[in-house]
Amino acid sequence: MAGNTFTRRRIILLLVLSSIMLVTLDLRGSGSVNGLRSVFGTVFRPVESVTRVVVRPVENAWHGITNYNDVVEENRRLKDLVAYGEGAKIGAVASVREAQELLALNGLPSLAGINSCSAQVVGQSPSNFAQTVEINRGSECGIRVGMPVLNAAGLIGKVTDVFDGRAVVMLLTDPGYSLAVKVVNTPPTTTTVPGAPVITVDQSTTTSTTTTTTIPKTTTTAGIPGFTPGSTLAPTVTNPSQSTSPNATVVAPTGTGDINKPGSANQSEITVPAGANLPLRETGALEGRGISKAPIIRFVENQPRFGEVNVGSPVISAGGASSLAPPDIVIGTVSRVIKRSGTLGPLLEVKISANLDALNFIRVLLYQPSTEKVNAP
Amino acid sequence: MIDRLVDLAENRYFRLFLVGLVVLSFQTTILNDMRPFGVCLQIMLLLAASSGLARGSETGAAAGFMIGLMYDMVLTTPMGVGAAVFAAVGYLAGYAHRFVHEPNWWSQMVLAAGASAVGTILMPIALTVVGVEGVLTFRVIGIAFVVALFNAAFSLPFERICRWALSEPRVVR
Repeated sequence: MAGNTFTRRRIILLLVLSSIMLVTLDLRGSGSVNGLRSVFGTVFRPVESVTRVVVRPVENAWHGITNYNDVVEENRRLKDLVAYGEGAKIGAVASVREAQELLALNGLPSLAGINSCSAQVVGQSPSNFAQTVEINRGSECGIRVGMPVLNAAGLIGKVTDVFDGRAVVMLLTDPGYSLAVKVVNTPPTTTTVPGAPVITVDQSTTTSTTTTTTIPKTTTTAGIPGFTPGSTLAPTVTNPSQSTSPNATVVAPTGTGDINKPGSANQSEITVPAGANLPLRETGALEGRGISKAPIIRFVENQPRFGEVNVGSPVISAGGASSLAPPDIVIGTVSRVIKRSGTLGPLLEVKISANLDALNFIRVLLYQPSTEKVNAP
Repeated sequence: MIDRLVDLAENRYFRLFLVGLVVLSFQTTILNDMRPFGVCLQIMLLLAASSGLARGSETGAAAGFMIGLMYDMVLTTPMGVGAAVFAAVGYLAGYAHRFVHEPNWWSQMVLAAGASAVGTILMPIALTVVGVEGVLTFRVIGIAFVVALFNAAFSLPFERICRWALSEPRVVR
């Protein structure tokens, strides 16, 4: 037989060439490889389903042994969170509705205008090197490659493979994942009491460098740090040249007088437009770093106006024509700021809002970025 | 037609394919969920190594290639990488087995553990070669140790299964 004529070297050579050919075909996005995967999936899924049913009691026993204390602890924590969240929910719903109305009024795109497909996570990658999960909805629901995937807490990843009745989602933590994001840096806030004069005394000087502040009565919308609707009167510093200490506090005037006259205070007539102290935003690129490391954001610029990034600053998707996700999807918060020398901006580690270890129901936004669209030949 | 079907059913690689389907279903369900020390155990790798231990390096390489290809079908990594790595593991296990003067149960366990560890380290190297970033870290060493330990524990029954699956069909039915 011809098969017997194969020497060991020929067999090895054949296997190596076959592997190289398969890798090349797959990396070039050959349809035949996807077709092969789809056919194999059709054969394999029934076997997997039967095995899943058979081994479920064993899995449950395993989790009962290994995770009992964690589950009890998490249950307590979640009860607290539910109690906390109930109160915030009502205000949040109203705010979101108002925001969507405002976006619609100005003709701006919002998440409310994008259809979605709900699905359930049915499995994760059996590999130690890929962070993917499999969901039980696929092309029949309109899901395409590249669509963003969310759960109730925020963005979790993007669709990388779609089949009939199932799809594979690459998680944010996968090293292959990258996304344009915005970091919302809350400007430093001061606690003020409307109407009450604030007196700041510089302890290090004996000259009359004491300045006085009168904060005009303003109405503050609670819940949005740094945001004060309506116009506010700009504070004026009284004779800053006389302030001998760097600890002197910027103050607003109380009396009336000539603003240009040294030593006197006055109320400025300059009106700051509404939202001038809105949180500052800077864009960057979020990159996954594997299962054991938090994703990082690069390319955030060192801009004086933006200031230093605070730990806890929200991170949201930036959107844009070539972005993988529409704008303003919650991703997480900055958990660590790694400063770098020179003009390099800081590296930001991100704590993802969604718990990627316990994904269940998710939502695929039927939003396909232009970069992922397949052009017809 | 029926004769052809019978021939196909008696083909040793077809039997190994059926065994591989069952093992792969365990890999993607229970072993995917139960992760001792945070490591996903790799019994598909053990199946490839056991093929080499049971039937030698050449059969091990071909069987490893097939098992790796099946594993590639359910992974998102480039297809062919797992096949190449598993073929190397099957070949290595069979080749190393030649040097054992009197094979016994513990030598098989040691060889299965060694081949599994090599395969676990080879996989991220191969993935890095084809352009996948972030997989070649020091964590691989810990993963290889855990995988080797557990694969050694399960190597004996797997070697029996592979010996049966890869046996030549009977000449006389």
